[in-house]
Amino acid sequence: MTTHVGLMVLFSLFVSIVFATMMRDEPAAQLRLGARMFAGFVGAGILIGWLLYPLPL
Amino acid sequence: MHATTADRSRPASRKYLISAAAWVVPGAGHLWLGRRQKGLTFLIALTLMFVTGLWLEGRLFPFELTQPLVLLAAFADLGIGLPYFVAKLLGHGGGRVVAITYEYGNAFAIVAGLLNMLVVLDAYDIAEGRK
Repeated sequence: MTTHVGLMVLFSLFVSIVFATMMRDEPAAQLRLGARMFAGFVGAGILIGWLLYPLPL
Repeated sequence: MHATTADRSRPASRKYLISAAAWVVPGAGHLWLGRRQKGLTFLIALTLMFVTGLWLEGRLFPFELTQPLVLLAAFADLGIGLPYFVAKLLGHGGGRVVAITYEYGNAFAIVAGLLNMLVVLDAYDIAEGRK
């Protein structure tokens, strides 16, 4: 659970829940927006991780 | 959901009281305004996020005037309201710099506070009748 990816997924989950709840009023719309945001956060995190991979530390 | 006439006619002092309640207890502003589902979601998600930050051995930053970034982090931590004071009272949030999860813990606690500030603004907008 306390791996980099695990914590990134957990962080994305919390942020998606709060933003989706704030931005939409209907539960179904909240769920749709939350799922899209969550997928976007995790996808972008993995993509940026791979883009940074060749760079020296 | 649209603003009702009752929302628009709320006195200014009540709007500020709702905002203060929203800061003290995450989601309380929305619960006060009758947005039960939103209020409960904020209460659970933000409190859990903050507690996760402490569990990951993050630090509740001190109000250090000589270090602007630390000061900003302290204000962000404070944004969560009551859980911040409860954590301080129970001796949590000391942070363990050598812990592998230290920076993650900081990020969770700081962002939980910042998100609660947005939730406070959202509650104010609803009380104002803008939403």
